[in-house]
Amino acid sequence: MAVTETRFKCLNCGHEYDGIYDSQVVQERTCPKCRSNSVRRLPKAKPDKAKK
Amino acid sequence: MMTYSEVEAVTGYVGNFNVTVRKKARYVDPNECTSCAECAEVCPVAVPDEYQQGFSSRKAIYLPFPQAVPSAYVLNMDDCLGNNPIACGKCADVCDKNCIDYDDQDKLVNIEVGVIITATGMDVYDPTEYDEYGYTRHENVITSMEFERLICAGGPTEGHFIRPSDRKTPQTIGFIQCVGSRSRDGRGNPYCSNICCMNTVKDTLLLCDHYPGIEAKVFYMDIRAFGKGFEDLYMRSKEEGVKYIRGIPGDVTEDPETRNLLLTVENTTTGKLENHELEVLVLAQGVIPRRDNDRIRKLLTLSTTSDGFIMESHPKLKPVDAPTKGIYIAGCAESPKDVKDSVTQASAAAARASILLNAGKTKIEAITSQIDADKCNFCGICAQVCPYNAIVSSDRKTKRLPVIIQAACAGCGACAAECPQDAITMRHFRDEQILAQIEAILAVEPHKHLLTFACNWCSYAGGDDAGTARLQYPTASRLIRTMCSGRVDQKFVLHAFKLGAPIVLVSGCHFSDCHYISAVHWTQKRMDKLWNKLDKLGVRPDRLRLEWISAADGQKFAKVMRELDDVIKNVTMDEIEYTMNVLAEEEAKAKEKKTKTRVEVQA
Repeated sequence: MAVTETRFKCLNCGHEYDGIYDSQVVQERTCPKCRSNSVRRLPKAKPDKAKK
Repeated sequence: MMTYSEVEAVTGYVGNFNVTVRKKARYVDPNECTSCAECAEVCPVAVPDEYQQGFSSRKAIYLPFPQAVPSAYVLNMDDCLGNNPIACGKCADVCDKNCIDYDDQDKLVNIEVGVIITATGMDVYDPTEYDEYGYTRHENVITSMEFERLICAGGPTEGHFIRPSDRKTPQTIGFIQCVGSRSRDGRGNPYCSNICCMNTVKDTLLLCDHYPGIEAKVFYMDIRAFGKGFEDLYMRSKEEGVKYIRGIPGDVTEDPETRNLLLTVENTTTGKLENHELEVLVLAQGVIPRRDNDRIRKLLTLSTTSDGFIMESHPKLKPVDAPTKGIYIAGCAESPKDVKDSVTQASAAAARASILLNAGKTKIEAITSQIDADKCNFCGICAQVCPYNAIVSSDRKTKRLPVIIQAACAGCGACAAECPQDAITMRHFRDEQILAQIEAILAVEPHKHLLTFACNWCSYAGGDDAGTARLQYPTASRLIRTMCSGRVDQKFVLHAFKLGAPIVLVSGCHFSDCHYISAVHWTQKRMDKLWNKLDKLGVRPDRLRLEWISAADGQKFAKVMRELDDVIKNVTMDEIEYTMNVLAEEEAKAKEKKTKTRVEVQA
């Protein structure tokens, strides 16, 4: 489970994009749109709990 | 000298390295062997000779190359039929000196050394990827390494250059430059391999010397004849009649009858499309890092550039020092270079090493970490974080504290920032010192200031570069220097927000430039945690920024400062107040929890 597809968000221009996240290999992130490095890996949305 | 050996493990630190070397079994006693070659004569196994690029064959027992040290034969057990009398054993029968031992075993040798010089060399690019040149389809398309063997007096043809398809001396020969170098189309490598231009110029001169009247053509994008005497050599080659055509062929086909090669190329000097017919085509293959560089990197705790070559400590001031103390680099392990540059670098590395060895002791920067035994809970995170393996991990069971090897610690401070117990103090960059700087910056009108953490080597120097270049940027920025961005603790950022900072910027070196091997990786990981935390607390994560700014990138430094000055204006006083309150509450809760835990432990 080291490599997962993750959504990234640039905190400079707000651009969101999908990319590969490898927890073993840390890679420098750069926004493809504005070249800022303030790129946040968005946490996965938790699934809604099934109602009883 | 230990040849036919491989380094298995390296432990220790500057002045006290312990190296485990595997001496591979040669199956021939090098002290007794006289290289008489009688064993090879009777050996029935013939395989392609790697040294001769497969143009000739060698036996299972062989001398790797004529100048091999020691000058003794070696038996390749993967090729050998074995000592079974039915199968073979002929070499042992003919050896008068009885120096063949089929039961020879690899030996592990431990050596204690003070310094290590890494001169592990490079590999060459495999041109099969460039299908348009037909290297795998056309016999008369060869690489520059293959050309080298064919023109060499010690080669399989004794220096008589022949074309592979009919073994005749060609009258027309072409060279294609930059095969696998300076490529931006996803194939090969983006960097210049440094040596190919002059190697081709030398090859053309050799051809002109050996075969007067031969027609040689060089297809290039740029000729880089930058070294001492190189331009003269290039001019001599032109005077000898070698044609230099500016343009890289797009397609190579073969005439089925003559086996000649047909090239189509756009000559960018004339702008015309040209067709050329050649008997042999040489691909000037580029240089690549050794394929096992990653293993070498891990063994010696080194870092590599984005190209895969081993990174030096500083490109200008410490070009032969590795980031790990006591380790030096020489030759193509560091970057592609010619013989002269390799020798120069090797001499420099040897001199640097001898300074350390002769002194018998080394001075280290006082910026190192130390453990507070009262606070440590033996979690072992510090040892995991350390890029230099300078921390001997703790043991929770035996309550053994982690040990920081002061001579190996480079002072990045990543351990201090990651320690959940605040049990590590970074000398000269203590928590109290940095927190005091934050408080001083934000003491008056905090909402007007852009608090920036800048690493010593790149971002801070980037700020200097912006200043010396007289670049204009707003005056709101206030810099706090840390040795590495990896030192920036979560609590520094949160403390700044708690004191009313509208924006906090963390800046450091690009990953490929990190002066502390991989400490910068922890910065990015920590920022992800901080962004999530701020989000959870209802604080806009975009008020915390991260930028990698290199020392030469004053332009970027100024641009980021200008952009963030605009962002500051968009942060309202209500937002700042909310952040201050929510973080103060969080801090109070954390303190309460900590006190509770202590009381429980004491009870």
